[in-house]
Amino acid sequence: MLSRLVVVSAHGLKSSSPLGAGCYVVSRSLVQASRSLHTSSQSRAPLPPLPEKGGQVRHGIFPEEIFQLLYPKTGVTGPYMLGTGLLMYMLSKEIYVINHETFAAASIGAVIIYGVKKFGPSVAAFADKLNDDKVAKAQEVKDVSLTSLAQAIEDEKKEQWRVEGRAMLFDAKRNNVAMQLETNYRERLHMVTNEVKRRLDYQVALQNLHIQMEKEHMVKWVEKSVIGSITPQQEKESIAKCITDLKALARATQTSATA
Amino acid sequence: MAGRRVALKAIDWLAFAERVPPNQRSMFNALKTRSDAISAKLTSLPEAPVTIDWSLYKSKVAKVGMVDEFEKKFKALQIPEPVDTQTSAINAQEAEANKSASAYIEASKTRIAEYEKKMDKLNNMVPFDQMTIDDLNDVFPETKLDKVKYPYWPHKPIADL
Repeated sequence: MLSRLVVVSAHGLKSSSPLGAGCYVVSRSLVQASRSLHTSSQSRAPLPPLPEKGGQVRHGIFPEEIFQLLYPKTGVTGPYMLGTGLLMYMLSKEIYVINHETFAAASIGAVIIYGVKKFGPSVAAFADKLNDDKVAKAQEVKDVSLTSLAQAIEDEKKEQWRVEGRAMLFDAKRNNVAMQLETNYRERLHMVTNEVKRRLDYQVALQNLHIQMEKEHMVKWVEKSVIGSITPQQEKESIAKCITDLKALARATQTSATA
Repeated sequence: MAGRRVALKAIDWLAFAERVPPNQRSMFNALKTRSDAISAKLTSLPEAPVTIDWSLYKSKVAKVGMVDEFEKKFKALQIPEPVDTQTSAINAQEAEANKSASAYIEASKTRIAEYEKKMDKLNNMVPFDQMTIDDLNDVFPETKLDKVKYPYWPHKPIADL
């Protein structure tokens, strides 16, 4: 009774799998086991695989099992004898009456058998192809999903590897800061020495300039005093001497020119 | 007054460049050019300043005691090293980046676990020719027909057939 109740209530549940009904009842079942017994009419055993081919038949309608059944007792021809005997019995005792319908049945049977023999294989191949296309499509979907998942995993691992390199960024930043500090410090050093040197050089240059100016001044002063000390008397004497020298020089050149 | 040399860590720019994702490449290039400029400026400056020949100046300058005074003061001078204000900020940034990186790695690992679960499901599924419709809906949830929203066959909008 409890199982029927459960099945009725399971129809009301949204889940379509039998698992839902089983889980719903576990809490209410009197058997406090992790698996519940006989709680739903559906069997949860895994299905056996479907057989590849249908049951074997001889002559299109007689199952092979009859021939196998009768083989130990009557051999290979047993079922055929049974069939012929049955047919004869039905015809002779008029259990089956031959009438117009017999010929109609025979004609229709002949046409059907001809049709199946001629077109059967191609129709079967067509149906198989439809099925194979569906399966191939599903297989393709599965393969694409597998490759894309594998690729996604690879990408995630690569991103993790990339993240590991983050220390390098901060090292670079700290290096930049240190380099800038060092540059600044060196600039300061250089500035100080240059300034001191400039001041000392200025002092030296100033001194040199003083000495130079004193020299020049002295030279000028000596010149001026010398020129000033040349009296008019000395000037006349020096001019007269120059004139006599010039006359002597002229006589000397005249004689050398005429000679 | 010796120049002080802070230990500069050697950075392998090639390995660094490999780890940069393509969408942050421009930032990486900017950083590299800036670093190169700074290091070029550093190497262009000589480490020690020009030494002053005190004896020469002593012999030249006439003023008594001036050079000696200069020399004394110069030697006693301490040039202050520039203060480092950024390293602590950089360290704080690094700690934060480490935190966010570990969070990202955690999320990435959960994603990888999800993908691996899906892969296992696909690899261990029932072969197609032994499947039922329930098995198919289990492996590919997108094939499940919504019988509540579309109660009549074909249980999906006609346009989706």
